[in-house]
Amino acid sequence: MNSETPILEIKNLRACIDNIEILKNLDLTINKGEIHAIMGPNGSGKSTFSKVVAGHPAYKVLNGDILFNGKSILELEPEDRSHLGIFLAFQYPIEIPGVSNEDFLRLAYNSKLKSQNKDEIDPIEFFSLINKKLQIINMAPAFLSRNVNEGFSGGEKKRNEILQMALLDPELSILDETDSGLDIDALKIISQGINTFMTPDKAIILITHYQRLLDYVKPDYIHVMQDGKIVKTGTAELAKELEQKGYEWLKKKD
Amino acid sequence: MIHIGKNTRSRIVSKGISTGKSKNSYRGFVNINNKAIGARNYSQCDSLLIGNLSNANTFPLISVQNSATKIEHEASTSKIGEEQIFYFLQRGISLEKAIELMISGFCREVFTELPLEFAEEADRLLSLKLEGSVG
Repeated sequence: MNSETPILEIKNLRACIDNIEILKNLDLTINKGEIHAIMGPNGSGKSTFSKVVAGHPAYKVLNGDILFNGKSILELEPEDRSHLGIFLAFQYPIEIPGVSNEDFLRLAYNSKLKSQNKDEIDPIEFFSLINKKLQIINMAPAFLSRNVNEGFSGGEKKRNEILQMALLDPELSILDETDSGLDIDALKIISQGINTFMTPDKAIILITHYQRLLDYVKPDYIHVMQDGKIVKTGTAELAKELEQKGYEWLKKKD
Repeated sequence: MIHIGKNTRSRIVSKGISTGKSKNSYRGFVNINNKAIGARNYSQCDSLLIGNLSNANTFPLISVQNSATKIEHEASTSKIGEEQIFYFLQRGISLEKAIELMISGFCREVFTELPLEFAEEADRLLSLKLEGSVG
């Protein structure tokens, strides 16, 4: 938190899907080196927020702007946003039959290198690189030869998301409920993965329902989202308070 | 596929890709004669749907005239949808590459049986044909 350089600025964002407005005047600024947690009841717009930032085509931005490192990304395609360094760990990672995890990861990595005008790396080099990354999430190399997320258990899917994050080394990572559906050990491994990955020139947004993840990964700020906007912002203490009192507590105050 | 002799074996692999509003139907006929004792047949029928408007059907017809045979039929359908494409895009992989990868993954089983030059050609032709069919 020593440098106050904003990495992501969201201004007055309104977004809809199928003509239903989900995000209503959302404002959020995230600086380098910060970990933000977004909490809130189901259907408050947390996942919509993550998909809008990543540029999902089904969501339309009605108003406002999203700035990444000072530049608007609203007009950019999802792949360009990814190349800039925006990463979204999916709440429900998609299964891709017929495509091996290794091919998928290599292609993703090479696309990123290509966008930075660097040479692509060959499969052998890539294999030694990915093997190092595998250790972060405690996965066996056999994991690579399976098809992307196909037949993976819930925990394996989430670990695969973290593996991709570690590989692509994004500046901004949005983790959409990466902690749900994990057992205690897997949660620890993933949290350690996140902590090792985090450096002062990156930023992370954790979308979560549980205090548990925040015990392992310490956030700088916690935002509570309700009905498409942020209704309360606080420090890590806020999560504990929420755990006890629930979201209704905030509603009554309004 | 017609089995006449004893202990004969056969395998049918069908792969169909439907895109846009197209429909794809597999109609197969496996006939095992009364003398074809111990005959085996395995049929596999995979369909790949691209987009929400395409359609795939499987109509396998199996006729067995003796009781000592083993016949199997398997069918699967997978779909390339918006969410899968978005997953690729989010990881920085372009739409064309994404489709190419999924199509060649789908066809791999068949293409590996083809001579190398032809397999490559077929792969490229497919990607070319399917370009712009999604999204």
